Amino acid sequence: MRLPQFNYTGPDTLEKALDLLSAHAQDAKILAGGTDLLVRMKKGLIAPKFLISLKALNELSYIKKDKNAIRIGARTCLADIIASDLVQKEATALSTACEKVGSATIQHFRGTIGGNILQDNRCFHYNQSAFHRSGRQACHKDGGKICYARDESDRCNSTCQSDGATALMALGAKLVLVSKANERTVALTDFYTTDGIMPFAMEPQELLKEIVIPVEGGKSSYQRLAYRSAIDYPIVCAGVLLKASAKKDTIDDARIVVGAMGRSPLFLNQESSSLKGKLFTDTAAFQKAADSSMNSAATFAVHNVGATLEYRCAMVSEMVFRALQEAAAAASKA
Amino acid sequence: MNELKELSIVGKRIPKLDAAKKAMGRAEYIQDIKLPGMVYGKILYSKYAHANIVKIDTSRAKALPGVLCILTGDDVPKKMKMGFYKDNPPLKKGKVCSFRDEVAAVAATTPEIAKKALDMIEIQYEELPGIFDPEKAMQPDSPLVHDYHKTNVLNLPWKLHYGDVEKAEKESAFVVEERFTTQWVTHCCLGTSGAIALFDSNNNLTIHTNTQIPSLAQKDFLESLKAMGIENKRVRVIKPIIGGGFGSKLDSYAYEHVAILLAHACRRPVKIQFDRVEEFKATSTRQPTIIYIKQGCDKNGKLTFRDMRMVLDNGAYTSWGATTPSVMMMPITSLYRVENVRYEAKCVYTNNTYSQAFRGYGNPQATFAIESTLDMLAEKAGIDRVQIRRLNRNQPGDVTPQGFKISSCGLSECIDAVEKEMVINGPKEKGIGYGIASLIHVGGGARIYKSDGCGAILKMDDYGKVDIFTGGTDMGQGMDNITAQIVAEELGLLVEDINVVHSDTDVCPWDVGAHASRSTFVAGNAALGAAKKVKAVILEEAAKTFGVSPDQIVMKARNIFVPGDAEKTMTIDKLLRKVHFSPQGKMLMADYFYDPDNENMGKDMKGNMSVTYAFGAHGVKVKVDEETGKVTVLDYVAAHDVGRAINPLLLEGQVYGGVLMGLGYALTEEVVVRDGKTMNANFRDYKLFTAKDAIKIKAPVVETYDEFGPFGAKGIGEPGCVPTAPAIANAVYDAVGVRITTLPITPEKVLAALMEKKKNH
Amino acid sequence: MTIINFKLNGDQIEYEIKDHWTLLHLLREEMGLIGTKEGCGNGECGACTVIVDKLAINSCLYLAVDADRKTIETIEGLASTDGKLHPLQQSFVDNGGIQCGFCSPGMIMSSKALLDSNPNASEEEVKHALAGNICRCTGYVQILESVEAAKKHMAGGGQS
Repeated sequence: MRLPQFNYTGPDTLEKALDLLSAHAQDAKILAGGTDLLVRMKKGLIAPKFLISLKALNELSYIKKDKNAIRIGARTCLADIIASDLVQKEATALSTACEKVGSATIQHFRGTIGGNILQDNRCFHYNQSAFHRSGRQACHKDGGKICYARDESDRCNSTCQSDGATALMALGAKLVLVSKANERTVALTDFYTTDGIMPFAMEPQELLKEIVIPVEGGKSSYQRLAYRSAIDYPIVCAGVLLKASAKKDTIDDARIVVGAMGRSPLFLNQESSSLKGKLFTDTAAFQKAADSSMNSAATFAVHNVGATLEYRCAMVSEMVFRALQEAAAAASKA
Repeated sequence: MNELKELSIVGKRIPKLDAAKKAMGRAEYIQDIKLPGMVYGKILYSKYAHANIVKIDTSRAKALPGVLCILTGDDVPKKMKMGFYKDNPPLKKGKVCSFRDEVAAVAATTPEIAKKALDMIEIQYEELPGIFDPEKAMQPDSPLVHDYHKTNVLNLPWKLHYGDVEKAEKESAFVVEERFTTQWVTHCCLGTSGAIALFDSNNNLTIHTNTQIPSLAQKDFLESLKAMGIENKRVRVIKPIIGGGFGSKLDSYAYEHVAILLAHACRRPVKIQFDRVEEFKATSTRQPTIIYIKQGCDKNGKLTFRDMRMVLDNGAYTSWGATTPSVMMMPITSLYRVENVRYEAKCVYTNNTYSQAFRGYGNPQATFAIESTLDMLAEKAGIDRVQIRRLNRNQPGDVTPQGFKISSCGLSECIDAVEKEMVINGPKEKGIGYGIASLIHVGGGARIYKSDGCGAILKMDDYGKVDIFTGGTDMGQGMDNITAQIVAEELGLLVEDINVVHSDTDVCPWDVGAHASRSTFVAGNAALGAAKKVKAVILEEAAKTFGVSPDQIVMKARNIFVPGDAEKTMTIDKLLRKVHFSPQGKMLMADYFYDPDNENMGKDMKGNMSVTYAFGAHGVKVKVDEETGKVTVLDYVAAHDVGRAINPLLLEGQVYGGVLMGLGYALTEEVVVRDGKTMNANFRDYKLFTAKDAIKIKAPVVETYDEFGPFGAKGIGEPGCVPTAPAIANAVYDAVGVRITTLPITPEKVLAALMEKKKNH
Repeated sequence: MTIINFKLNGDQIEYEIKDHWTLLHLLREEMGLIGTKEGCGNGECGACTVIVDKLAINSCLYLAVDADRKTIETIEGLASTDGKLHPLQQSFVDNGGIQCGFCSPGMIMSSKALLDSNPNASEEEVKHALAGNICRCTGYVQILESVEAAKKHMAGGGQS
């Protein structure tokens, strides 16, 4: 299976990369590991004229800690994140999430954290061969006006199945985006549009440079459900962060995020707040928050992943509950 | 048993003969073959499940530089039809009946140009209402898939009734009844399909193609040539090394016939190579089924009757999937002793994909229903699950209601072997369950076709080396080893002395194909027959040399000698030269055609289909996560009666591979088809197990020594995947008390059943 | 057109390539190294696995242009010049790790990348490393046994 033609550039400095991006913004795509982008190109879903490869951009590959944050360069390989003791200890959910991505050969050694966050939304009806899509009206994401996942929908309902993004949102991560003219930091929760066609609130000339994970002593967990152990996207996933109060026995702050349901990972504010002040041993409160998460996430459930809606909704509750329990266990041990 | 005495070569764990070549990346698959002047063919498929073709305009595509030839249904001779029902032309004309319908084909100088040309072919369709549910398609008001056929129900003879089922039901102490369904699954051969066709200057055809049936494919292609008006020409079928078979290559496919048409039209070698999406969408699946079953027993648990009815979604065309009932009948009439049996299957046209042979050939579907209901029956009758199987087990000397003569039978020993490794009825933790299921399968050929034979030609050179030309086909399963080991054993040589030539119809004799777990038995007996003929001559010559009678002479480890007489010994190659380079010298050659003494089924479906039958029992331990419904396999035992293991290493490989394939069938695999369209045509969405999901499988071998098998062996290619699904379903029931009747047993089905159960309690 | 330089199975190579070629295309279609297989083209099966700078990658999703200045190992480079198999190859042969053989080159390359970097890999680590290599014939049992046996052999100084 061959790729469509394109021109390749491999800038070796960030500056050069941003220049190129600025010049070709509309026709260019950033190539990091390529495990998402090249597949979409082979399927004819996109046909960029330029690929700007980050291969030579070693300056974007790092994991470091400063004061209260872990900073990860966007081009850092998932394998490096998995191998990092720092991430494992301070941002457990991310470590777990990266381990679950794809398989060793493809993702760990090639996939990058930036690419994982910026992987395009997926839909059972959209991520198909060109021929499959040719025999029907185009869907929103394919340039048309209909949605196969939800009848009568006026917009695209593809879902974000990124393991990394779900974990990072639970961890309260921020993204540093740079362009030739500007650099800005945006909370991951504010990074998404509500449209599956272009799910990221990002300008075409912008590049994801860095992921900043605040480290404030919380314990996190990531849980996902898939049909098999590798080469699989999550059917449902959940990331959770629990911070202990000064007395260590109660929850001072909680963040609950559900992935693979909506157009972006879903930060559930109300359910998160409900746990404030609760004991780490209060499984009834966890169950209540988990069930409420299910109800909140259920409004986003459409037929975009090959499993029934009833099942995915039920599993939201289960994944959130498991994540809460695991994080609570870790927090009480700490 | 005396017959199971230790042998020199047979019974040894000899690595697969072509493994080193494959390990070095030097094996040539169809993907790797390029011929001088070769061009590339591509096929355009239908955009609709059911539509009239109003107009096809190929003019723009034809004008594309590099395009050599474009064909549509109009260019296909009327009599060129595929499948055993001959209802499938390689390119469709007038109407398409499924998404995989081939509507046009292009030959071009590069694959890219061919693909581009396909995009430039303009077709105007008029969409018709499709029918996708076989039970609805049977209704009189259903749209017709083929108007000329008048009904969607195929005219096939799948019906039998032995004994008196109604009477037996009335007299039964316990009866269970259930509806089961099984899904589409596909072979997922790692090497995708492909063919290269070329005509020589005299219009003789050579075709390199991925096939499991060189001789029958040759016949199909000859018929195509005849339809094209090319008569009395030769067809040479060469099968390169193939990346897996599993039954997928038991029929000729449209792409092969299209390659022939294109090659003939543009006078160049034409290669059609499928990509993965095509492999998923345009090759055939395992036959899906809807099964209605009733089984009963007396108060002691002895089976009284079995009543089964099936509806098979035939898809839009008819390949071997529609004949799987002929093999489903085997477990239905003959798995365990049951005197009163009734079975009827209807194959129904729909606008879905059509099915093919797939490892087990209907047996896994039927066994799923039989073995699941057997557990239900045991529970109802209050009898231990293992006990009910022992009580009703087949035994040597049985003749089953369908007329199968059970020669050797190790079912009892297989159940013992499972119980030795696993306590099926022992105490267990919450969420843990055990399941058991048995199998019967053909183990000594299967007379589906008029001949079940295989030919072998053997020649020896002056250096003690053998070339054996066999009709048998190797597709990775090890037919080559089995042949070499049998010949080496018989002729007192080493395996490396034997060169097995196969899969080329110009040099190899006829064979019905690599199916029905028949290669070890049938190709093995053919090779053994040829070796025996040569051996007889060698012994006669040696007898003259040594001045003894032939029966005093032994051939072993490249030597020929009279035991106990140090004077009377020489190397085999020396003897061969002596025989050759003497006045009226001889070269040692022999041919042998082995056609097993089995029977075609009669009108009443009776007949001893196979010379011998393979048996087995599987035991499994699972853990069910009651919150997610996910089933995890913790332990697996697959015990098989193989007659005799010719090569335990390869035998285990067949069992392990079969079991994991069966586990996929049971738990994760399904071709998702929506309104006729395949929705998961890739390895990400079609859930094959990965190495991370792999489990340790114990594979105890029961050797019963079958008197008809080569050195006592029976077939083992398919059995591994036959009883896996019911074993799992039974274990899930044992673990959490829910009976899943539709495959695959996905987490969501288990969870839904658990919820339902909670509601009712 | 771009010219790349890379080391392939020990040999220094210069090759004129097109930007949109994958490494798989370069190896198979241009250089005729057929040992690396294409099973899916989308990184889902691992048949095309080769080693680039010591890491096993799917060559169907790796641009040829990115091979510039890299060290690449393919299945063709494993056996010694006298035809003696690499211990992993030999182990796959001896332990039934190969049936149809289509996944074998990729499977062996994934195994090699693992054992080169982690000679004492645990069973779980082996399964993890091979999780992207699909096999339909063996049920993985004899493949995992092959890697285990090779591991022991190589640890015992049996490097060829």
